[in-house]
Amino acid sequence: MTPAAGSSQLLAFIKFLRGKDVPVSPADTLDAVHAAGLLGYEDRTTLRDGLAAVLAKSTFEKSAYLEAFDLFFAPQYPDTKTPAGEENRDDASESSQNNPQDNSSTNTDSEQSLEDLLQNPSAENDPTLAGLMNSGLMNALRSDDEGTLAMAIEAAAEAAKVDEIRLFTQRGQFTRKLLDALGETALRDAAIEFEKTQPRAFEEIQRLRESLRHRARDRVERAYLVHAAGDTEDFLDEALAEVRLANISPHQMARMRKLMDRMARKLASRHGRRRRKKRRGQLNVPMTLRASVATDGIPFNTHWRQIQRKKPQVMAICDVSGSVAAYAKFLLMFLYALQDVLPRTRSFAFSSSLGEVTNWFSEFPVEEAVSRVNRVYGGATDYARALSDFNDLALQDINKATTVIILGDARNNNSDPRLDLLAEIKAKCKRLIWLNPESRLAWGTGDSAMLPVTQHCHLASECNNLRQLERIIDTLLSAMHGN
Amino acid sequence: MDTTLYPQLDDVNAISTAFGDAGYICTPRIATVVYLAAALNKPILVEGPPGVGKTELAKTCAEVIAKPLVRLQCYEGLDEAKALYEWKYGKQLLYTQILKEQLGDILGGAKGLKESIQRLHSTGDVFYAKEFLEPRPLLRAMEQDDGAVLLIDEIDKADFEFESLLLEVLSDYQISIPEIGTIQARSKPMVFLTSNDTRDLSDALKRRCLHLHIPFPSIELESRIVTARVPELESQLSDQLVRFVHAIRELDLKKSPAISETLDWARSLVLLHANQLDSGLVHDTLNVLLKYEEDIVEAEGQLGKLLKIADGL
Repeated sequence: MTPAAGSSQLLAFIKFLRGKDVPVSPADTLDAVHAAGLLGYEDRTTLRDGLAAVLAKSTFEKSAYLEAFDLFFAPQYPDTKTPAGEENRDDASESSQNNPQDNSSTNTDSEQSLEDLLQNPSAENDPTLAGLMNSGLMNALRSDDEGTLAMAIEAAAEAAKVDEIRLFTQRGQFTRKLLDALGETALRDAAIEFEKTQPRAFEEIQRLRESLRHRARDRVERAYLVHAAGDTEDFLDEALAEVRLANISPHQMARMRKLMDRMARKLASRHGRRRRKKRRGQLNVPMTLRASVATDGIPFNTHWRQIQRKKPQVMAICDVSGSVAAYAKFLLMFLYALQDVLPRTRSFAFSSSLGEVTNWFSEFPVEEAVSRVNRVYGGATDYARALSDFNDLALQDINKATTVIILGDARNNNSDPRLDLLAEIKAKCKRLIWLNPESRLAWGTGDSAMLPVTQHCHLASECNNLRQLERIIDTLLSAMHGN
Repeated sequence: MDTTLYPQLDDVNAISTAFGDAGYICTPRIATVVYLAAALNKPILVEGPPGVGKTELAKTCAEVIAKPLVRLQCYEGLDEAKALYEWKYGKQLLYTQILKEQLGDILGGAKGLKESIQRLHSTGDVFYAKEFLEPRPLLRAMEQDDGAVLLIDEIDKADFEFESLLLEVLSDYQISIPEIGTIQARSKPMVFLTSNDTRDLSDALKRRCLHLHIPFPSIELESRIVTARVPELESQLSDQLVRFVHAIRELDLKKSPAISETLDWARSLVLLHANQLDSGLVHDTLNVLLKYEEDIVEAEGQLGKLLKIADGL
């Protein structure tokens, strides 16, 4: 592979990587091109290790990278692409030069092999054969030169604009275009010609066509994976983030979970660590002395060593009763992800009685934890009981660094929700937030106690899709650090 | 590209050989990354469990290229005054006191406040000159005339803010001192950062580095390391020992033994003139390998099985 062809491949690979959730900056791209230039494209392992150092910056990214590398630079024809195969190929091409009939004819009967036909000087008189012989493709196929063939396919792919593929169903169409651009028609014409007259040559040429079709199809599929699959994924993610949580069907669960994990990771990295200098603690003598030079040695401005670590704490209470069951599943999943990244999160679940589920979330995998919560705490809603349970359980741990999030519809089957308990929580915590999956228009209708609830919260908000959830948690975390 | 500075590092295979000669058996992956770091002038961020030879890699590199090793050990609370530079405030204070009397000479004959100030200005910022600057490791590494190895050890122990402090050094090999200006590295050092993965490093820092993860070695590699480092150990015993350590890593331990512990154990066995691993010997020396009482108890419970594996059964 030439360096130029290599670097365009590399750029495609980087685009592919970005689609796989590995962030690669333009600066990284430059480094990758340099590194590949230094290491060369001959040795796959060296290239893989070298690029890994430049492109993958964490264990998570490394595993995604290795997977992507194997997929993208797949050794599809292992006998010729692996370093061990390299020698074999040299041998093979040498021997075929020395003796062109070596690898094609094992039995020499009256039927002529393709090689014989092409070697035959009278072939020039036959227009079909002449066309076949002159095509670069045939030469590449015959010479067994993997590099030339790969280049030819690459050039044809460019001519056929294979990279514009957007839909999976376009594969057939693009494969055909690619083959046409390669000049496969000459092979097809020859095959038609030989079908009756030269059965052996016909077979050989069919085999060549088959292998060519395989390669073309691989190239097209790779183009789809690189250029379209990522877009499709992004589109699906985008769409899913906007869909009402209750409408998400079971087959989208896996994608949803991935999305939530990513969101929680993003939120955590944005808010995970903030510290603030505090004006007390141990005196920082060097800094103070240094500052005192300006004041003739009198330590006028003091500097302090202590750095205060702000530890934001979140307590999340999730309603898992029948009326919000469809949301609860996702909210629990989100809580699960959040607890994973913000270690000081405590999670509670209730419908009538309330209990802490923090340990389940840290011990069990997500499905198990969520179904356990639903099994134990599912039922009819009783906010009064739940809030009093919560206050018994956790009120003493709430302080001015605590944010309490309640996820629920505030429908209390027409009984008193004991909002005085809510007021108690509000008085002790930093922020009390109520997220309601119902639309704002429905608040206060029927048995909804949402309107009085809003008065006891710092923030009451509608939240029924992932995008809203992310925005709310984001503002919440910023506010938590801000003052 | 500054290949002239570190000619020992301009070929992947040569690096493998040179490091091997210096007693550091490195995988092709490590050699590739070291080569790229030298060629691209980029720092290497080395991650991995404790004791797999992260710090050793930097030391060996210094040995191979025959340049001084400047080491900065990170800890919580490390700040620029300890890592970059510090003004010699004592000297500054002393000099201002002493030189107070000189003021009369400088200002002698000056008419009016304006002229006096003018004269003072013309003397320049004498107290914030290089003479009053105390270089700390990072600045020292920048000031080496023909290359150095800068080792920033256990960067994950330092505060988050400290990482930001490093960015200028790592990407441009320069240090900005407000009072003086920017100090450019006289020659670009090879930079190694090590991290035990106790916390995530910032993306900004990671972006400026090549990333190298060193895992626990394979049996074959560890045997080679033991042979290179403890040549006195008989090869049969060394194989047995490495297999034993690998089996022990499979157990559910609080702290798995790393290469450094394997080497310590090998050296202990040499001192004890052992020529065969048996349960008595292992029992007496297991505390070299394992650092927690509960781990030792756990391993001793399975000693028979472990020894069988060590014997290759």
